[in-house]
Amino acid sequence: MGEKIITQVEKNGVATLRMNDAATNNTFTDEFISGFIQCLERIEEAEPKVLILQGLPQVFCAGAEKRNLLDLCEGRILVKDLLISEKLVQVPFPVIAAMEGHAVGGGFVMAMCCDIVLAARESRYGVVFMSLGFTPGMGCTTLLPELVGPFLANEMMYTGKRFKGRELAERSTNINYILPRKEILPKAKEIALRISEINRKSLTILKNTLAARKKKLLIEARLQEDLMHRISFAYPETKKAVEELYAGQEEEEK
Amino acid sequence: MTREEVFSIIKKNILDNLEDIEEDEIDGGKSMKDYGADSLDIIEVVSCSMRELKIKIPRAELSDIKTIDELTDKFMEYIK
Repeated sequence: MGEKIITQVEKNGVATLRMNDAATNNTFTDEFISGFIQCLERIEEAEPKVLILQGLPQVFCAGAEKRNLLDLCEGRILVKDLLISEKLVQVPFPVIAAMEGHAVGGGFVMAMCCDIVLAARESRYGVVFMSLGFTPGMGCTTLLPELVGPFLANEMMYTGKRFKGRELAERSTNINYILPRKEILPKAKEIALRISEINRKSLTILKNTLAARKKKLLIEARLQEDLMHRISFAYPETKKAVEELYAGQEEEEK
Repeated sequence: MTREEVFSIIKKNILDNLEDIEEDEIDGGKSMKDYGADSLDIIEVVSCSMRELKIKIPRAELSDIKTIDELTDKFMEYIK
């Protein structure tokens, strides 16, 4: 068991945030989302130079929660996941996504919001929104093309396929490193250590400048994605797909 | 389609989706988990195989399946 999110800020300015909710495979429950934002705010107060964002060894982040999706189908709540994307692009230090495990849906969008991305050959990465019947969210439509290129992004969004890291390694994506799982954290730490040698004020200025583009992309995505969600979550097929797919997955994981 | 052909399609998808496994190692009496598959790997193997066989089986019906042989038998029910 233990804490669902573990944070640490070292003296040299290297911070780590480890998503550690093994019971739900780092799913975006309301509690997880608010915990994640609080942890990022706490790290921000400590003024680090760089942050390594990591998950569980097998699962980086599984994305949306079934109950939340069903609520959306009923038109009950607004999409809260977007808070995560917004917070990640706003922090004043570079963020390294060190994905040892799978990253699916919103879990993969988290990585797109980061500055440097590492993926594991053995793990799977996919944006499964459409497999569940609704259109992509959290900024996926504008951020995914940045990370993997527009045409592979199209394929990923239209098919919902979860690609193995080693498959992505054969395509020319912008993912910084696609490595065997055990090499992910050492590589992330090595990059973070180099960044930690730079003065923090200049890092902040550069980050603010580089993030401006991402913030713009996110605003652009939101305009379209919110509208598409309002339409696509209302389809009866969507609710059916969410119920069926998640039911199957829960069973298979037993 | 014969059972053997169905089994070989599943086998091909296992080889495509799992690491470090040779074709003659695959034993129908075992679970994909025995070969290091996790739930996402299994979903991919099953969905790719169903696509190739042009069948669609509700997930709930697949949830009790333990071995590759059982999966093959389930597929056979839908092919007939």
